[in-house]
Amino acid sequence: MSVEERRIVTRRLHERPEDSWTIDGALASGAYRVWREVLRTGDPAAVQEQVRLSGLRGRGGAGFPTAQKWSFLPEGRYPRYLVVNGDEGEPSTFKDRMLVERDPHQLVEGIAIASYAIGCNLAFVYLRGEFALGYERLTQAIADARSHGFLGRDVLGSGFDLDVVVHRGAGAYICGEETALIESLEGERGMPRIRPPFPAVEGLYAKPTVVNNVETLSTLPHIVEMGGEEYAKLGVNRSTGTRIFSVSGHVKRPGNYEVELGVTFRDLVFGLAGGIRDDRAVKFFIPGGASSQWLTGSDEHLDAPLDMDFVQQTYGVMLGSGAVMVFDDTTDPLLVAWRLAKFFAHESCGKCTPCREGTGWIEKVLYRMAHGMGRPEDLDLLFDVGDNISPGVVNAPFTQTTICPLGPSVVSSIASLHRYFRDEVQARVGVSA
Amino acid sequence: MGRLSGFLVTLRQYGKKVTTEFPKEKAPRPARRHGRHVLNRYEDGMEKCIGCELCAGVCPARCIYVRGADNPPDQPVSPGERYGFVYEINYLRCIHCDLCVEACPTEAITETKLFEFSFTNRNDAIYTKDELLVGDDGRARRLPWELWLGGEDDDTSEWMRVTSPSGDASYEGRVSWSGELGFGVRPPEKGQAQD
Amino acid sequence: MKPVGMCRMCLVEVEGVRGFPPACTTPVTDGMVVRTRTDAVEKIQEGVLEFLLINHPLDCPVCDRGGECPLQDQTLAFGPGESRFVEEKRHYEKPIPLSNMILLDRERCIQCARCTRFAEEIAGDPLIDFVSRGDRTQVLNFAEQPFESYFSGNTVQICPVGALLARHYRFKARPWDLATAETSCTTCSVHCRGAVQSSSNRIVRLLGVDLDPVNHGWLCDKGRYGIDWVHADDRVREPHLRVGGELREVSWPEALDAAAGEIRKVLRMHGPGAIAVLGGARGTNEDAYAWARLAKGVIGTDHVDCQMGDGLPAEVVLGVRRAEIDDCDRAGAIVVLGPDPREEVPVLFLRLRRAAKDLGVPLFDCTPVGGSLAPYAAHVARRVPGEPVGADVVELAARTARERGGPLVVVAGRPSVAEAPDATVRSIAAFGALDGVDVRVLSALRRGNVHGALEMGLAPGFLPGRVTLDAGREWFTQRWGGVPAGRGLDADGILRAAAEGRVHVLVLLGADPLLDHPDALLARRALEGVPFVVAVDAFRSESAARADVFLPCTVWGEQNGTVTNLEGRVQRVARRVAPEGTAMDDWRIASELAYRLGADFDLATVDEVTDEIAAVAPAALGATAALVRRARDGVVLPLREHLGEIVVRTRGLSILAEEGAGTSWDPIRAGGAAPAGAPAASGEPAPRTRRRRPVPARTRRRPRTRSSTRTPRASAPPTRPRCTSGTVRQAGPPRPRVTRTLCAS
Repeated sequence: MSVEERRIVTRRLHERPEDSWTIDGALASGAYRVWREVLRTGDPAAVQEQVRLSGLRGRGGAGFPTAQKWSFLPEGRYPRYLVVNGDEGEPSTFKDRMLVERDPHQLVEGIAIASYAIGCNLAFVYLRGEFALGYERLTQAIADARSHGFLGRDVLGSGFDLDVVVHRGAGAYICGEETALIESLEGERGMPRIRPPFPAVEGLYAKPTVVNNVETLSTLPHIVEMGGEEYAKLGVNRSTGTRIFSVSGHVKRPGNYEVELGVTFRDLVFGLAGGIRDDRAVKFFIPGGASSQWLTGSDEHLDAPLDMDFVQQTYGVMLGSGAVMVFDDTTDPLLVAWRLAKFFAHESCGKCTPCREGTGWIEKVLYRMAHGMGRPEDLDLLFDVGDNISPGVVNAPFTQTTICPLGPSVVSSIASLHRYFRDEVQARVGVSA
Repeated sequence: MGRLSGFLVTLRQYGKKVTTEFPKEKAPRPARRHGRHVLNRYEDGMEKCIGCELCAGVCPARCIYVRGADNPPDQPVSPGERYGFVYEINYLRCIHCDLCVEACPTEAITETKLFEFSFTNRNDAIYTKDELLVGDDGRARRLPWELWLGGEDDDTSEWMRVTSPSGDASYEGRVSWSGELGFGVRPPEKGQAQD
Repeated sequence: MKPVGMCRMCLVEVEGVRGFPPACTTPVTDGMVVRTRTDAVEKIQEGVLEFLLINHPLDCPVCDRGGECPLQDQTLAFGPGESRFVEEKRHYEKPIPLSNMILLDRERCIQCARCTRFAEEIAGDPLIDFVSRGDRTQVLNFAEQPFESYFSGNTVQICPVGALLARHYRFKARPWDLATAETSCTTCSVHCRGAVQSSSNRIVRLLGVDLDPVNHGWLCDKGRYGIDWVHADDRVREPHLRVGGELREVSWPEALDAAAGEIRKVLRMHGPGAIAVLGGARGTNEDAYAWARLAKGVIGTDHVDCQMGDGLPAEVVLGVRRAEIDDCDRAGAIVVLGPDPREEVPVLFLRLRRAAKDLGVPLFDCTPVGGSLAPYAAHVARRVPGEPVGADVVELAARTARERGGPLVVVAGRPSVAEAPDATVRSIAAFGALDGVDVRVLSALRRGNVHGALEMGLAPGFLPGRVTLDAGREWFTQRWGGVPAGRGLDADGILRAAAEGRVHVLVLLGADPLLDHPDALLARRALEGVPFVVAVDAFRSESAARADVFLPCTVWGEQNGTVTNLEGRVQRVARRVAPEGTAMDDWRIASELAYRLGADFDLATVDEVTDEIAAVAPAALGATAALVRRARDGVVLPLREHLGEIVVRTRGLSILAEEGAGTSWDPIRAGGAAPAGAPAASGEPAPRTRRRRPVPARTRRRPRTRSSTRTPRASAPPTRPRCTSGTVRQAGPPRPRVTRTLCAS
């Protein structure tokens, strides 16, 4: 219970709460130092190598190794684009918002370094439309960075050109999916594209494109500064470094906590977040955002380390976007599942039939079950419908019948109900039937 | 004894009335008799027929002619978008097989037990919608050339389904009764389930 | 259309690939092992169908698609027997209009995006798109902007459910009471392949049929929905004769006798030059041929014109080297001189758009006013109305075509009737004068079967089969018993002569000069100046109402026969309904009149007319009824078997037929064998040996009397010049030969 935050990405905004987002505040605490150094060295490959050594994995949800993603870019095809995924729409995730609002210069520096590393001269930031303050501060930060010569033509005399365009989303969760985000950026309706071709080969405007998360890019300057190997010493196994976890729900101190990977959920929930309100017990918690499967309040689950591969392989859950939603023993899991399904049914883009129709159906069935109109066969029905969206959902690795993982996301909560609360749910529908 | 047993049959009939004074009276009709059709209406007067032509499609004698049309929105003839604009049955061709009744998705067409209708020209044999449609009391119109003595249209609901209205496959092959059609409700017979 | 992978019905298992990729978006690779019927796949297919059906209203008995619905078929084949969905389905207002013609029932939509993809990718009218999300995703038009596309009807045809509906066909019939015949649409000269469907002897629907070289399955709304007139109330159903100043219904013999009597009288008193025939572009080739034979072979007048002063000279249309529509796809460059294709020949617009946009062929938009192709054009070079294309544009187009390789396709028609055809003709001549470029012309005349009528000789100075009077004089004299002495007048000339009182009998073959001729005043004076008008028409048009004899003819959908489209492709049109009243085919009217004028055509069936054309008309040599019926894609004239029969020469563009001039028959090379994979139909060789037509055993309609001396077959025909190879020509009696000079100055 004595775990401390390990602040790397969130250091500056904690150190200078009063002006961390301004150019003066940022410069005073060392912003753009790494960017200068990178440009002075003039070796993009070295940056890529450092990222590779650091073992940095995407912080957006899928946890794909960043260096590997960059390596998919085809040789010699230009222009290529960097797209920053700032469409933080996962329910209960709020780390990117903090980073954009309170330390935009760190993000700009990260964008600059990444662009330099992959050879891109135009980067796009797709910012969630609701981030009004974040948009204001980020555009200001970009303007300031440009006037200080950190962006624009011939950056700091290095001959490298870079510009950043900020685009505000229009409120669709699906636009957090990288191909839908690219579609939306192009002005089309935000619907995922069929892969292949992958964005790295044919992405924005049919050009090679890398899509990285805000937190991933914000980590970059620190990796380059520390050195990849040094960064890789943080964390555990293949989950290197630190991550920001957004803890919410029935905890005493909800908020963003940056911890070194490898600490346990118990450290996070009972240590940093101060435990459960009224000192109740944890009934279950969602470890990685709304699309993740659930874990229960058992000691085994609470003491599991924050290790992406470990929890994936052991419990079939993902750390995802790092949103930990905690529910105490007064919670009705059916209601939670229904509310999550309602979100996904509302946000399904309508492209693939199983997701478009299936999420709505699941939502309707869960509503009935949660409101005393369930039938004994409903849980099995739900499970079979879920199986048609995401075949083999319980016996990971599961597959999907849809293009993107939104449809399977709704099945996560059903699988969790099935796995941990089957008796409770059956009792509910059995009685009311 | 064997030789006399034949006479027993005759003796049993003795004294029974066997001649029916047709056409003054009619012999009792079996419950499932297929006679002249009626086009049913809902209780609010709306026509059940939606002009889908399934009856015409299934008719083996090709004696039904149907044309659908858009329901006038201010004065709809039937619930929904479409109604039977033209509905004609040619009784010179009809073989009273009842397939039209089975095909009908809205239970609009059923059969009475009336079989005594004759015509003096071929055109009269073609019943139009006006003639087939039941009156406000839900009973068949009695046309001058038909012999109605009463009772022929009591249970026009008589009707079998081989599948359930919901299309539930487990009803396949099971015979059940519908009590919603036509005029009157028949109780189920032995071995038949009330739907 | 590009695959979109939305419905997920075609999920399959692929060895070595995790999960279930959709077959429609997964390219085939070497050695790929695909499993389509495993247990897992079948479960998913059933599941997806259940998803598709949970919000589908299942009002099949009311739905126009019920009975021909792909969703019904899929459900029968792969679907679950029952639904586990007990909740309320989604509800919307039942059909809402997307435009005047298209209705949308959103409850039935399964969001396959076929319509939106068609509108955007094929038609270029992105007027409908998805709105909203999740299971409330729906197709809608944009506010205040109806789905007014010229091609909107195609979305109804490709809609896999009854979501998109045609107001025109709504509740008209059910699929099981429809009778279908494959035919070609003759609304414009593209002749898209279609399937005409009737119910209770009424034509109710026209569907597009995929014909690769022409329409790719699409139709324009004009053709698709412009079919009701066949059964219009004001069709003239019986022959009429003017008695005492009024048109009165009479019997056919009376009407025919009256017309023939007048013609005979005028012939005797004024000679053949006092008789003129206008129109003929709306019938079949057989109609046009029979009328050409009547006018030129029997009456002996050359005052015959199927165009109404709004087309191009027949010399140009028949004389230049013609392109096929498919040539646009592989062209080095396309130049559009003519009218806006979207307005006049809509489906050709789709093909041109595809060539320019999807296949990357540089397109030069040289129409005088902005057109629909401008957004897809590589170069827009507006020309001054009435003036030919500038030399710089010609040079640039030629250079582009040379660099890219492939023919230079010139789409030429009349941009407007206010402009004389000279500008277009001179532009064509300018392109024709180019060296080292394979220039082919795609005529964009718009009248239904104008190309067929021109080929059949319904133009001054021409005889059937693209030959001039002089070139074909001997040949046709032997067959017809005579041809006109000299070149006659075109439509303008005929009307002018009529206005001056020099025309004593005017035959209107479906022509309405009062409404249709650019100079309405002249037309009025002309009709007033003609003492006797014979109208062969289906409607009492303004001009036909002026007739002294009205002969009702059959129309599209009521007649069998062949038609020729703008690339010279001969296809069959089929009769689907019985004619209204006692209407008669035009060719039969012509042969009845001919008989009354002392000539027996000896034609009993329409196939006999087709066969006679195939035997007599040089460019149509070998295109027999049997061949046209067999050829899936129709046949492009002339057939390669009959190369060397025609020599076409225009100034600056002199190409022998052996090299492919005057015609277009790619990919079959002149004199060579068809390359592998060439469409069988276009090159299907006609029988080389000419078979003597067997005399049918049945009784002829009429005893053959003197006619045997007139019918060419009875006397021993002269050996027709035949070309056995590309280079060797047989010497022999006169070869029909088109020798014309472009009227460049």
